[in-house]
Amino acid sequence: MKLHYCLPLALAALAAFAQAAEKPEDAAARAALQQLVPQIKIDTVEAAPLPGYRQAIVGSQVVYVSDDGKYMLQGTLYDVQNKRDLTSSRLAVDHKRKVDAVPESKRVVFAPPKPKYKVTVFTDLDCGYCRKLHSQIADYNKLGIEVDYLFFPRSGLNSPSYDKAVSVWCAKDRNAAFTAAKAGKTPTPAKCDNPVAEEYKLGAQVGVDGTPSVYAPDGTRIGGYLSPTEMLSKLENLGKATLAGN
Amino acid sequence: MRFVFIVSGLLLAAVASAATPEETVRQAMNALAPKVKVDAVQESTIPGFYEAIAGGEFVYVTKDGRYVIDGNAYDVANRRDLTASARARVRKDALDKIGPDKRIVFAPPAPLMAKHTVTVFTDVDCPFCRRFHQQIAQYNAKGIAVDYIFYPLQIHPGADKHAEAVWCSKDRPNAFTAAMAGKDPGKATCANPVSELTELAKTLGIGGTPTVLADDGTQISSQIAMSPDQLAAELDRLAASSAAHN
Repeated sequence: MKLHYCLPLALAALAAFAQAAEKPEDAAARAALQQLVPQIKIDTVEAAPLPGYRQAIVGSQVVYVSDDGKYMLQGTLYDVQNKRDLTSSRLAVDHKRKVDAVPESKRVVFAPPKPKYKVTVFTDLDCGYCRKLHSQIADYNKLGIEVDYLFFPRSGLNSPSYDKAVSVWCAKDRNAAFTAAKAGKTPTPAKCDNPVAEEYKLGAQVGVDGTPSVYAPDGTRIGGYLSPTEMLSKLENLGKATLAGN
Repeated sequence: MRFVFIVSGLLLAAVASAATPEETVRQAMNALAPKVKVDAVQESTIPGFYEAIAGGEFVYVTKDGRYVIDGNAYDVANRRDLTASARARVRKDALDKIGPDKRIVFAPPAPLMAKHTVTVFTDVDCPFCRRFHQQIAQYNAKGIAVDYIFYPLQIHPGADKHAEAVWCSKDRPNAFTAAMAGKDPGKATCANPVSELTELAKTLGIGGTPTVLADDGTQISSQIAMSPDQLAAELDRLAASSAAHN
């Protein structure tokens, strides 16, 4: 009895603590953003690497708000000494968490025996560059790259490409049906429980704006279509600075 | 004596390490993007920052030179886009130095009075610029004087020669109107400001043509600018709001 009674109280205390734990600067940043854009949906507010500023994750963007809530900066933040794009690095952390949360049972996996690298590729069965990428799947695998596909039918959830994705997912031999559809074959219509809509929504959350979109293990988007050797070189050079204009 | 000596030593050190705003911004931008040209540097409204135009875009640089933000800044309480205001100020200062001898002026004919003047970056080979000029009598009738500045775009091969031919014709406004109606302006050459104005437009980050700027340098959206009624209303609104701020 005591235990039953005690538990909800502890939870209530925890909730109160969590609310109290929001720092005044975080609250000021939240209030500032809501004043600028009343319907804004803020995912996270935390200290920014820029001294005197908070950073808020809003969808797949980062905005910077002064601790007093007076100024908001929207754009890309660079660390000059280390030549790092801090905005992309922060987003990559968020994207990695979201992409990693997709279990293998919801991916279409093409892996070599001992993969050195794993990429997650948002794909559309009807997109030309997605087909080109998949036509070279053996070459990516040969270079030690595992390719995990997630579906992102560009035209949305009420489109022939969406229906094809569902049919491929529900085929008896999923990988064979996937490869056949990439070669232009229309899949045999099929329906079943499937993750296509969920993956499409995930794509939007991690900034997919076209297909293919290739995500490295650290959550950075390393490209659209990349040839097998280009992809390998990007994976080998992860974390090294690349800046526009260079 | 010793005390004085120590103090002056400290002062010397402070002076030696204090870089000018230009030096700070140039060093930071050079580290990040050596190919990008820094055109203007000024103190920002945002405490702790310089703002600069680099490659036609605004960037914000912390005064210690450690961080750069490539993006836009907002004043939360007043819901003001500070980047747009700063850009307008820089453009106004630059345009104030371009006299009527480098423009083609279409002012309202007497007895009409000019209530507003707009500066329009234009290209004789750009379809929207032509459509804008077809309505010149209506803009004038609304009390808007139109000052054209040539900005022939590279995507229109030969547009710079056409601009020069118009500039060098005997009756400049008539030649301009004829060219805007699709007539071949011929091949006249003479000393002309076309390349100087083109460079200026690039420095100021003028993205395309027609770009319409109000008296105070504020850029008017092209949707509004293409309608004489809407442009007149917008210019009235801008004048009223700047009167309210002063």
